[in-house]
Amino acid sequence: MASTSTGPSCPIIFTTQTAYPLPTQKYLIPTNWKRFQLSQLVNKALSLSKPVPFDFLIRGEVLRTSLAEWCAENGVGEEETLEVEYIESALPPQKMTDIPHEDWVSSVSCSIQGYFLTGSYDGILRVFDYSKNVVLSTLAHSAPITSVCTVSSPDDAVNEGKPYLVATASQDLSAQLVEVSLPIDLSKQGESRTLAKLHLHTAPVTSVASDHSGSHILTSSWDMLIGLWDTSIPTSDEVPEPLVAERDRKRRRKLDASENKSKKKAPKAVLKSHTARVSRVTFGREARPNTVYSCGFDSTVRLWDVENGVCTQTISASEKPFLDLSLTADGNIVAASSTDRTITLYDVRTNNSSNISSSLGSLPHPATPSSLALGSTPHHLISGGYDGVVRMWDLRSTKSAMTSFKTWDGHKKVLSVDWKRGLVGVGGEGGLEVWKATEDTRGSQ
Amino acid sequence: MVADAQLTKKRKQSHYDDDNTSTFKDAVDIEMLSEEEGDEGDDGLYDGEYENFPGIDVESDEEDSEFEDIEGEEDRNDDEEEDSQDTDIENHHVFPQAKDIISDITGQPKRVFPEIEPDYDSDSSTEDAPNRVGNIPMHWYDDLPHVGYDMDGKSVLKPARGDELDKFLETVEDPTAWTSAFDKNTQSDKPLTSEELDLIRRLYENEVPDAEYDPYEPTTEWFTGKGKEEVMPLSAAPEPKRRWIPSKWEKKKVMKIVRAIRQGRIVPNKPKTATARPQFYAIWSETSASYAPPLPAPKPALPTNAESYNPPEEYLPTAEERRKWEEMEPEDRERDYLPHKYPSLRLVPGYDRFIKERFNRQLDLYMAPRVQRVKLNIDPESLIPKLPSPNSLKPFPTYRSLRFQHPDLARCISVSPDGAWVVSGDEKGTVSLWEIIVGREVKRWKFGGKIGAIQWCPRNDANYFVVGSEDALHCLVPPNLPQTVYQATLETLAPTNLPPTPETPSPVKWSTPVSNSWTDETPLLTIRLPSGSGLPNHVAWHRKGDYMASVCTGGSQGGVWIHQISRRHSQAPFKKVKGNVQLVLFHPLKPHFFVATQQYVRMYNLSEQKLLKTLIPGIKWISSMDVHPSGDHLIVGGYDRKLCWFDLELSDKPYKILRCVSVFFLCGTNNQSSFWLYRYHSRAIRSLQFHPIYPLFASSSDDGTIQVFHARVYNDLMTDPLIVPLKILRGHGVANGLGVLQVKWCSKHPWLVSAGADGGINVWCS
Repeated sequence: MASTSTGPSCPIIFTTQTAYPLPTQKYLIPTNWKRFQLSQLVNKALSLSKPVPFDFLIRGEVLRTSLAEWCAENGVGEEETLEVEYIESALPPQKMTDIPHEDWVSSVSCSIQGYFLTGSYDGILRVFDYSKNVVLSTLAHSAPITSVCTVSSPDDAVNEGKPYLVATASQDLSAQLVEVSLPIDLSKQGESRTLAKLHLHTAPVTSVASDHSGSHILTSSWDMLIGLWDTSIPTSDEVPEPLVAERDRKRRRKLDASENKSKKKAPKAVLKSHTARVSRVTFGREARPNTVYSCGFDSTVRLWDVENGVCTQTISASEKPFLDLSLTADGNIVAASSTDRTITLYDVRTNNSSNISSSLGSLPHPATPSSLALGSTPHHLISGGYDGVVRMWDLRSTKSAMTSFKTWDGHKKVLSVDWKRGLVGVGGEGGLEVWKATEDTRGSQ
Repeated sequence: MVADAQLTKKRKQSHYDDDNTSTFKDAVDIEMLSEEEGDEGDDGLYDGEYENFPGIDVESDEEDSEFEDIEGEEDRNDDEEEDSQDTDIENHHVFPQAKDIISDITGQPKRVFPEIEPDYDSDSSTEDAPNRVGNIPMHWYDDLPHVGYDMDGKSVLKPARGDELDKFLETVEDPTAWTSAFDKNTQSDKPLTSEELDLIRRLYENEVPDAEYDPYEPTTEWFTGKGKEEVMPLSAAPEPKRRWIPSKWEKKKVMKIVRAIRQGRIVPNKPKTATARPQFYAIWSETSASYAPPLPAPKPALPTNAESYNPPEEYLPTAEERRKWEEMEPEDRERDYLPHKYPSLRLVPGYDRFIKERFNRQLDLYMAPRVQRVKLNIDPESLIPKLPSPNSLKPFPTYRSLRFQHPDLARCISVSPDGAWVVSGDEKGTVSLWEIIVGREVKRWKFGGKIGAIQWCPRNDANYFVVGSEDALHCLVPPNLPQTVYQATLETLAPTNLPPTPETPSPVKWSTPVSNSWTDETPLLTIRLPSGSGLPNHVAWHRKGDYMASVCTGGSQGGVWIHQISRRHSQAPFKKVKGNVQLVLFHPLKPHFFVATQQYVRMYNLSEQKLLKTLIPGIKWISSMDVHPSGDHLIVGGYDRKLCWFDLELSDKPYKILRCVSVFFLCGTNNQSSFWLYRYHSRAIRSLQFHPIYPLFASSSDDGTIQVFHARVYNDLMTDPLIVPLKILRGHGVANGLGVLQVKWCSKHPWLVSAGADGGINVWCS
């Protein structure tokens, strides 16, 4: 493929892990070419019927400039053969809808198809359908809700009309299991029923997570504890009623009236090893259902064995109070965001006993990355920051974000992101925004 | 003696007269003599001498003593004769003597030279000598019977020389023998002419050799004397007396010397002693002096090719370069001339820059250092302060994580002991509780009037904070407390069994609302200060959380009250305080109490009820103060932009003062001091705080900035505290001349919360 242009050219070998491999061959590419020309070249070489846009990675960095500028920046001579990996490029996200809330949205979940769940600082759990209608709005907690998750059952996708089980965590020191029944008829409102209150923590609960089978949930709290619970609804209070002094019984009674139906539930196990606030806890992917990952303000990421309730591995960073954590789809890499404005990637496959584990890389942010979500592919990650910008990253290129978009004109904080089925739910100061972001071309097909 | 001298003088005079008259004759004689010699050859030698003798006799007869002298000289002459014969020969040909005669025409004396006869022999230089060997060393003929060859090639035989006896007899018999000299050329004795003898005599007597020279010529009266008197003298003044009267003072001085010589005080010809002799020094062999030799003058720059009248082509400026050079300022020019090419050297014009160049050269010489400066042997690297890099001192707050906005000026903030919550109070009476990491307000209280101070109780088992509003202190409980903590808080603030009221009634009233009306919105405990005491603008807790001190701007007793929560009792620690109390602080470990007035910080021992020491920061108006968690160090900030660091163990004077521009001295580990200039706050300091865990402290100022310092305190008493400026945090606006009013650290993390005058409260994260 000799080029006809007169400018200088450099030899390039294309590699890929996508479904569009090129024969291994050295190409002489004019150095003034950019991503677009390279993408056209690959498309032509493959003679694809439908053009597929590609992005190009050189030495783990996405090519944003022309080849010559990249070479000049990195000090690579033009004679050197460059190995360029191409990946299908992510399309720029498009804003779908904007659902304002009365209060800040602290948590958003897109796991129920067709609906968005939001937990807000006013303590109300809301469910919206895709046409922005409020399906359900229930006061779940008397204090701000910090985390919402759906307790998935294996057959929830097929079973329409069956009530969903939703777990909420709040600053009122408790977590709840709420049964949410969504109507098939759009004109009706959904119903919710608090099934159980999870009583363990003595400080605000930060996160709640469920495993894939929907049999267990996890809660983490400021009191350094992680609670493991099963999802069976108790028939009676498993926690004794605390002794209420004579004088504030009246106050108690007022609270009790709203939750007389819910039963108090005791944890199945308590995971105790963190030395500071636990900010996020999550179950491992399907391959490792018994592993639990948690991160906290003590700058550690911990791996737990649920069966035995022990901490199997501790990844210590220095002065990185972690805010959020997420696992890649293959469960190999943990990404954890911290207040030092980075998202750090850790490889958790190596089960070494040493406490020091080097990070695979870190994604720098200009503001605190409050939340992050990983897509279904093992390479893509979305992070929301306090600067109101949601960034999409490719884990193979850690230097800069692949693409980013501003929510609420970039003035309000993003507190939570969720990314399921090509939809990004962004919850924060301004309410909820939904963006369409395809993880890759295959995901959208 | 005098008579003798006169005699000789007279004699000489006559002799000169003689000479004058007989000069011409003598000269002729010489000519003749030489002729005679040449003609007569060797045989007529003695006769010639004889004949010439009377001429000499005239002179030599005059003095006997002279006669003897010349006799002695004769021997020497004989000895010399052999070496320097040619000179003698030349002496024979004396230049013709001139003659002074009175001219017939003018009547004036005139000098007349003898006539030169224009014949062949008139020039004596061409005269033929009998011996024609020429100018050769005559000792070549020593062993030969002849001494050379004449014109015809015949050998000139050596004249017969008698032996020593003959010589002696000759001297006895021949009266002219002593005036003859040996002539090598002819190998015979020749009588000296009278001129020669006279010359010898003159030389011998150290007289002027030239007989013609008269040292005693009669004076020629040009301007004086008869008929030549000056008619108009230059000055009409009569001639002073001293012109002709011998000086009396000179005479006295001379007499003084004469008397000294007579008495032996002055020895005229003193023998030269060793010391009196001039000393000589071998100046080149000695080593040089201790100081360095003077520097050589700077050398002028050597001319370059460009300065040539015919420079190479590449030196010639193009028109563009020429224009640029002309546009440039003269002092900016790289060189002060433009190379110019002339076709030949004679077309080179005069050097117009000569004066300027000389002037510059003089200036160079004048300005050149005369003393060699001794170079300091200091490694420049060592002068650079060995600062720990800020990166090595991480963590410290570096960026603004979030901002919480109050509608009005927020003057006070407090961070909960667990470092998760922030309470802030503004001028409109709003108190907000919000999460430090999210910045979301979860609760709001409303009071009438300004909020002057907020301070969280440091207890871990109970959780409440104190808000100082007008004339009162309110204890508020944050929501969502765990049951145990809530109970403990209730027990503390509103115990079921109230402690007994103290005997002496206190002007401070403690009040708790009845339990039925308890809500989250109202304070559980209110401490009413005596009316008129004003806004409590400072509240400080004891570390155990039982005692609390409050400072009001107005009121008596300096406005200081110490409240004990468990006993529900307030007391004024000071009956009378000098000055306005600004701040109070409890010592973190000891029962000590710091009180800052406008200019002094006093340290009291509360258990012993006495003053321990008075610290003098030298600040005009103290604005803020904090004590290090170790309790040994105190920082005090003032409205006059100064910060003083006190080492309480060390001195009453500040260990270090940070000013607007301060010199920073650092004592490193190797005891090497280094310093640099540091720009501190340019406006009044408003707030200071030490971090409870990390070695950090922060100061905020009205210039809208917060400065974060690393302040490491060593347990070792010998090591000075290390203070390193880390970061200047900018992000607050300045409103009404007020900047950042308060800074507070998050207790568990190196995070900083700052309240600005624009109502914004910023959280700075690491």
